[in-house]
Amino acid sequence: MTSNRAEETPQLLAAFTVASEPGNERVALREVAAAAADCGLTKDQMERLKTAVAEATMNAIEHGNENRAEIPVDIAVMRTLDAVAVTITDRGGDRADHVEREIPDIELKLRGEQRPRGWGLFLLQNMVDGMEVSTHGALHTVRLTMRTGGDDEEGARHAEQL
Amino acid sequence: MPSSCEVDVRRLPGTVVLVIRGEIDSSASQPLQLAYAGTLGPDMATRVVLDFTAVDYMNSTGIALIVGILAQARAEHRTVAASGLSEHYRQIFEITRLSDFIEMFADVDEAIAITS
Repeated sequence: MTSNRAEETPQLLAAFTVASEPGNERVALREVAAAAADCGLTKDQMERLKTAVAEATMNAIEHGNENRAEIPVDIAVMRTLDAVAVTITDRGGDRADHVEREIPDIELKLRGEQRPRGWGLFLLQNMVDGMEVSTHGALHTVRLTMRTGGDDEEGARHAEQL
Repeated sequence: MPSSCEVDVRRLPGTVVLVIRGEIDSSASQPLQLAYAGTLGPDMATRVVLDFTAVDYMNSTGIALIVGILAQARAEHRTVAASGLSEHYRQIFEITRLSDFIEMFADVDEAIAITS
């Protein structure tokens, strides 16, 4: 199999920070949408990526940086041939991501046996093709990937390289 | 954080429509709950339509607020319908299974026509 290494190298499309203040997830999703506008995502994929970015950024602001405005959330948008990847990094270090380990169950919630909240991680996982969490010291990073085309195997291979 | 969510209440025979505008996030809690509370009373409608036509953003906290309204409505023996959801938020209602408990309509006229 031949491959063009230059083409497979992730290309950084945008890198920016937002202050850890409630509501800044909307700044993040707008910036990511603008950066990924020409990556070949369908409208549905773009909407799902925006929702995932917003949820991950909310988690970073609330659970990672504890709403301390002076601590930034770092966001980067990258692409390869077949995928878009977004990394969202806070300074919250290792933690049980994110107190949302319980699987949200609408019936339990309606019966008052589960809190109404707790949808964030569930939404995140269902919106994108891949989600990975890593921690290096205080830096806690969520990496989201969305394949933009090609067959699944090929798309997954490129997503792994991001 | 100031809320960009506004809710108007439209009363019809047997049905009350909450017309929601703006963003449904944590800041929407008060306007949503106040509007819903305003629909309660001895002669309250038994059907609540949540109109999302003018909603441009909803996050997981907003989903939780909708779950809360649904739970309260069910406790009061009311049914809840949704109108005007974008395709993306319809998808989210299906993923979260809100759609198992909230009937979804393309627009508010369609939601109202079902009951008239």
